[in-house]
Amino acid sequence: MTQYIFKRILGGLFTIWVTTVAVTLLIHLVPGDPVQIMFAQSQSTTPEQLEQIRQQLGLDRPIYEQYFLYMGRILQGDFGTTIRGNQPVLELLLVRLPNTLLLAASSLLVTMVVGVSAGFFAAYKRDTWIDTGLMTGAILGISIPSFWLGLMLMYVFSIRLGWLPVSGTDLKNLILPALTLGLANAAAVSRLTRSSMIDVFSQDFMRTARAKGLAETVVLSRHAFRNGMINVVNMLGLQFTYMMGGAIVVENVFAWNGIGRLAIQSIFQRDYPTIQGFILIFATVVVTVSILLDILYAWIDPRIKYS
Amino acid sequence: MTQNLAQAESTDILEPRSRRTHRFFKDLLRTQSAKLGAAICLVLVLMAVFAPLIAPYDPINMGAGQALTPPNLAHWFGTDELGRDLFSRIVYGSRLTLQVGAIAVGISMTAGVLIGLVAGYAGGWIEAILMRMVDVLFSFTETLIALAAVAVLGPSLTNAMIAVGISSIPFYARITYGAVLVEKNKEYFKAAQAVGARHQRLIFRHILPNILSPIIVVATLGVSIAVLSASALSFLGLGAQPPSPEWGATLAAGRDYFKRAPWITTFPGLAIAITVLGFNLLGDGLREALDPQQRR
Repeated sequence: MTQYIFKRILGGLFTIWVTTVAVTLLIHLVPGDPVQIMFAQSQSTTPEQLEQIRQQLGLDRPIYEQYFLYMGRILQGDFGTTIRGNQPVLELLLVRLPNTLLLAASSLLVTMVVGVSAGFFAAYKRDTWIDTGLMTGAILGISIPSFWLGLMLMYVFSIRLGWLPVSGTDLKNLILPALTLGLANAAAVSRLTRSSMIDVFSQDFMRTARAKGLAETVVLSRHAFRNGMINVVNMLGLQFTYMMGGAIVVENVFAWNGIGRLAIQSIFQRDYPTIQGFILIFATVVVTVSILLDILYAWIDPRIKYS
Repeated sequence: MTQNLAQAESTDILEPRSRRTHRFFKDLLRTQSAKLGAAICLVLVLMAVFAPLIAPYDPINMGAGQALTPPNLAHWFGTDELGRDLFSRIVYGSRLTLQVGAIAVGISMTAGVLIGLVAGYAGGWIEAILMRMVDVLFSFTETLIALAAVAVLGPSLTNAMIAVGISSIPFYARITYGAVLVEKNKEYFKAAQAVGARHQRLIFRHILPNILSPIIVVATLGVSIAVLSASALSFLGLGAQPPSPEWGATLAAGRDYFKRAPWITTFPGLAIAITVLGFNLLGDGLREALDPQQRR
């Protein structure tokens, strides 16, 4: 177990290291002069100012030197400043990160509750109209683009019914984005849960449990559900990663003030220091949470002996 | 000798090719859902090919009708903020959607399958490096890779296709790699190896044809993922730019008129959803036809 945790952390650190290299290279992959592209939208910048920025970003030095300079700054918590407005990038990202995490976590909750219960019932009522109905819903759910689902929910619940606000950052505003992102992923989880539960229902221990006269609720909750959940819990880390990726889109639908929204704005403005900071923070969060969830899984499932 | 062995393997002596093809299509269209999926994909292709004949108006030039007209007999899906016929825009948009699917899947499949084949076949340090890189890319999520690619290349539909293509490479690499490892341990492969077949021949004549089934299934489902991702990029303003009739971009443009003219966002969204549904159903059907063990 300790060895497994150690291996996972080492793998995570490697991923983050690759990210830092990729992020440094990113600006050099831009076709043309990145500094000129960055300032293309503001005409008042003089060639001298551009040169100064180039020096400031270290772009006039050899690439390996740039990497060490960038890493040195990152390790000191200095992610640079935004191209417009000169605001510290790290601060901008850290102010918004909790909003993104809140959205991802609440969506994950929606995904798990809706996806697992739908998959469970579909498997339990296998080959009945309930199963067909739920799985039809699931394949429709997989096919609907999250941004469109978000707009449609907004149209019904905010514009037509007036129950929920269109956008904003308090908790009431979280309901629609979390539902959008959660439902979009619940479809995939319900399919996974269904096939996992079908396997469990055909196992010998299920027949034994029923044969010894246990109540159906006990059979379902103690025997079936627990075993069927192993595959689903194992997918938690991956699901969280999906949520973080999906959050980038959904934040922009609902004007939810998270790092995804900031990222899209900075891509528009060609604000490379912010884009670099975003990629680093995003990758670090995703890697860290995945490791934590994997460790949690290993700890929950006693059968797993990692070597 | 090698030649004969390979020939004996590649043609199934028990069943003629025509009958095998017939059986495959019968298996594929066995379920109602696969039939529906195939029908949707067929309609999409026909729509793209015959767009100029189907669309009653020009998709880009203004003046088809009054701005923001609700759906009626003259404009089935209504008109947008510039008075363009939404139905015509969606018909022409299908061309871009198919292009996105083909190009993005083409990029990710070619690169991914190659990486998976080489890693699985070569083993050793090549395998370790390639698959470690795939793992790293996998943990970044497709969205992040696509965003980084667009940030580098700049917003446009072509760049969005490339970005989406790159973002799915790890997925194809993993599926291929897993399949290669299984094939490598089979008798036919060991026999071919024993008679001294070259690397190239072993990879492309022996392994590749035998792992095509899972790759075809993944590629079909991959079209739907590519369409979803590229339309999301366009929706965010990072893909197709106005006045392109691309569905995600059309939908995004309608957001400003959401209260007054919800049809501008509704119909392109429906078009995306139905297309993705079609490829998902077809992909599921293919999986069942090619791998009967998966039937549930």
